[in-house]
Amino acid sequence: MKTQPPILADKLLKWFCAPHLLENIQGDLHEEFEYQVKRIGVRRARWRYWWEILGFMKPRYIKRKPTQYPTTYSYSPDMLQNYFKIAVRNLLKNRTFSLINITGLAIGLVCCLAIGLYVWDEYQYDRAVPQFEQTYRVTERQKQATGLYDIAVTPGPLAPALKNDFPEITETVRVGAWSGLLQYQQTAVEPEAMRVVDPSFLSFFGFKLLKGNPQTVLSSPDEIVISEAVAERFFGKDWRAQFILGKTIHYNQERPLRLSGIVENAPARSHLQFDVLLPFKYFELNDKWSYNWGSNNYHTYLKIRPDNDVAAFGQKLAGQLKNYDKGNETPLLLQPLRDIHLYSDFDFGTDWGKHGDIRYVRIFIIVGLIVLLIALFNFINLSTARATQRAREVGVRKSVGALRSSLIAQFWGESLLMTSLALGVGLLLLQLLMPFFNELSGKVMAVPFQQPLFGAFMVGLLLFISFLTGLYPAFYLSSFRPVSVLKGIFDKKSGAGFRKTLVVTQFVMSIVLIIGTVGLYRQLQFIQNKKLGFDKEQLLYVRLKGDTRQKAMTLKELLTKQSSIASVSATTSTLVNMQNTSYIEWDGKTPKNEFLITQMNVDADFLKTTGMTLAAGRNFSPAIASDTSDKFGTYLINETAARRMGWTPQKALGKKVNFWGLDGKIVGVLRDFHFRPMNVKIEPFIVRFRPKEFYFNLLIKTRPTQTQRALADIARIYKKIEPNQLFSYGFVNEDLGRQYAIEQRTGQLLLCFSILTILIACLGLFGLATFTAEQRIKEIGIRKVMGASIASITTLLSKDFIKLVLIANGIAFPLAYYGLNHWLEDFEYRIGIEWWVFVVAGITAIGISFLTVSFQAIKAALMNPVKSLKTE
Amino acid sequence: MKRTFLGEFEEIVLLTVAILGEEAYGVTVTQELEQKTGRAVGFSSIHTTLQRLEEKGFLSSKMGGATAERGGRRKRFFEVTALGRRALMEVKQVREELWGALPPDTLQLMGG
Repeated sequence: MKTQPPILADKLLKWFCAPHLLENIQGDLHEEFEYQVKRIGVRRARWRYWWEILGFMKPRYIKRKPTQYPTTYSYSPDMLQNYFKIAVRNLLKNRTFSLINITGLAIGLVCCLAIGLYVWDEYQYDRAVPQFEQTYRVTERQKQATGLYDIAVTPGPLAPALKNDFPEITETVRVGAWSGLLQYQQTAVEPEAMRVVDPSFLSFFGFKLLKGNPQTVLSSPDEIVISEAVAERFFGKDWRAQFILGKTIHYNQERPLRLSGIVENAPARSHLQFDVLLPFKYFELNDKWSYNWGSNNYHTYLKIRPDNDVAAFGQKLAGQLKNYDKGNETPLLLQPLRDIHLYSDFDFGTDWGKHGDIRYVRIFIIVGLIVLLIALFNFINLSTARATQRAREVGVRKSVGALRSSLIAQFWGESLLMTSLALGVGLLLLQLLMPFFNELSGKVMAVPFQQPLFGAFMVGLLLFISFLTGLYPAFYLSSFRPVSVLKGIFDKKSGAGFRKTLVVTQFVMSIVLIIGTVGLYRQLQFIQNKKLGFDKEQLLYVRLKGDTRQKAMTLKELLTKQSSIASVSATTSTLVNMQNTSYIEWDGKTPKNEFLITQMNVDADFLKTTGMTLAAGRNFSPAIASDTSDKFGTYLINETAARRMGWTPQKALGKKVNFWGLDGKIVGVLRDFHFRPMNVKIEPFIVRFRPKEFYFNLLIKTRPTQTQRALADIARIYKKIEPNQLFSYGFVNEDLGRQYAIEQRTGQLLLCFSILTILIACLGLFGLATFTAEQRIKEIGIRKVMGASIASITTLLSKDFIKLVLIANGIAFPLAYYGLNHWLEDFEYRIGIEWWVFVVAGITAIGISFLTVSFQAIKAALMNPVKSLKTE
Repeated sequence: MKRTFLGEFEEIVLLTVAILGEEAYGVTVTQELEQKTGRAVGFSSIHTTLQRLEEKGFLSSKMGGATAERGGRRKRFFEVTALGRRALMEVKQVREELWGALPPDTLQLMGG
């Protein structure tokens, strides 16, 4: 046997020696080795061999010969041009796929961007306020018998007291809500959001004063500042050109106020909404609730010094209330301004103004990501499915010297191109759809094309998405081995498992969204149709203002006579979201079972007008003298109130209670009715009968189908009695519906998005089905020749996909159940999650995907086998 | 014109290649050199010198045909070029002139 030189040494030589020198050097060495073996023996020859090889470790032998031919740089303009050309050709060659890919991605991007804008907008609230980060609102956590309640209002004297005692505070402002009628000469306006504020209000929140002196405005008692919008209503469109400062505006027809300024309209992105500002000074002088520690009427805002530790300040502040108001253990809390818009959840309607809800923002973020993911999956699926068509190209490129890295770059570049197209189409669509989206979301937004930040974000998004979409195709396609793909040995099923996983994920997400939307809509239906305990149909209210209150009874009598009106009742509330609460005393009350009770004052026609029923006892009657006595009251309570006081409805009758300092007895118990939104339990309620006190509304029940006539009648009579007052009215039904505006809006948006997700997912499925049908075209041809029916071929092609959707159903159901359940827990009165919702969602998903797939399958099955089998 | 310069080892290698004629390649040059001069030379130094001589234009080389005995690897054969021959002649001439200029006594002394 021939002795071999040491293999390791040979390997070493091969590694370091330049390839063009290697052959003859190694040859010489081997020859020499054989000669030496004969001369000095194997062992020494081997040593020598090692020694010789080490001798070749010189730059001369290591240095590689520069190649004779110039290598083409992978990113040279020529190559880039080639990549681009190939990409465009591929796009045009597979028009259907390109269209599906780009449309799907564009729709996904539109949804995602729209949601992004929405969420961005929600987070932009109040950012314009100077020292935004240092601004806080003081809130209270009140302890009551039924639990802890967060309220956003604080006593009027709190702000100056805190400012005085804490050097950390730089600025404070109080904001209270008020209402009333304003009149200038013949024009009367009822502002929607009248606010009572300190002089520091404008500078504190950075609102601009358009007319007037910002230094002195709102500092004397009889001033008024109005917004641009109100100014326009009083003085016409050209108010800017007129000298309007100093004009007298009457408040509730009695108090003259001097117009001292015009403020800009409240910004849309501000939790503070106002159209009229009144000076706090006046209320401080005239309204005892404003300087009383015992009543909470004002939002207190403060700014602290930037270098202060907020947590430490918060702790000092917490127990401060008892230092001002003896025995008041209620803790004070700080709510950062940044949280006010999205994280406010206060009880008893103490937080007026504009609010978002972080839960819905979160739902939207999730939905946006889902839509985007589904679109991305489509893209990835279709690109990998079509990989077979690109395999030859990869083979050729590799054999003429393309490196894997340049192939990866090429495919990444292609997805960048596709994504750019999709993003372009998406932005165009977004711009077109913006008015529609604004209507849906109730916001005023525009695509911020001019903002550099938006541009940067778009570029980032583009790169990120093309990175994601290109990731799998780039690595998958570039991994092909040129020898096998060029020979045509190619596993056509490769990547199928991955694609199936993506399809299942897509449908899981779509089905979850469908179930979520159906559940949300059913809950909305439920709360809007739930029996409230009174008849809200054909029920409208007319507001009584100023003087009209005294004439309420006259008005009521006149109205009752109209044939279009069934009955009229004077009340203090409109039955919508009533929150006027107080404590009540009764026999057998202990501090432990104390509770707050919501009250309203009505007249004897209340039950008739609202259709409420009694569980026990009798209605009020003007005929019974004791019912209207000044010394002694009569009350109706609801069942919940009776239960809380420890009585059955029957036992409650005749029991003595003391409410608002007036002793009285219970003459009847009302069946429970909903006077708050459905996410709140029915609480105790008391109905008073005090005809001598003011009423604020007339509740009017019109006769069926006579609503329009009734409105005309009311307007006519109102005008006769109150020529100076505006006639303002509303439908109880509509106001009740408005309480669920956020839910309705979310429902609509979710509906849109879930339809879109299903659409995008089906688009992907359609693409995949087309692809499969194309691939199996010969098989189908042969099957047809052998006598397969169209139905059997359709089934053959569809069943794989339907299987995936079925699996997706199985995964989606528990997820959807969990999510929906979680959301429904917020509602005190809610639907059960029923099995048929799942069945409907499942069948919908299967049905739609079957339609999508079978369209292609039938098309393939109908094809003439002669055509598909003729050519090879 | 730059004067050609041959180092001592280069001169010997060049001469050996000239002696070997058509059969001059790495292994033969090494073995010939060892037999003729009796000095052990590293394989790599022979290769380096051959290459350097080729770069200087004294040698030309071409790859031979595949050979069975060394795993099919080809040999690189070297041949002295015209410039190489002239260089050798020059060296020889310089030597002979120098030898001729040597006084006969000195030579005898050395030989003694």
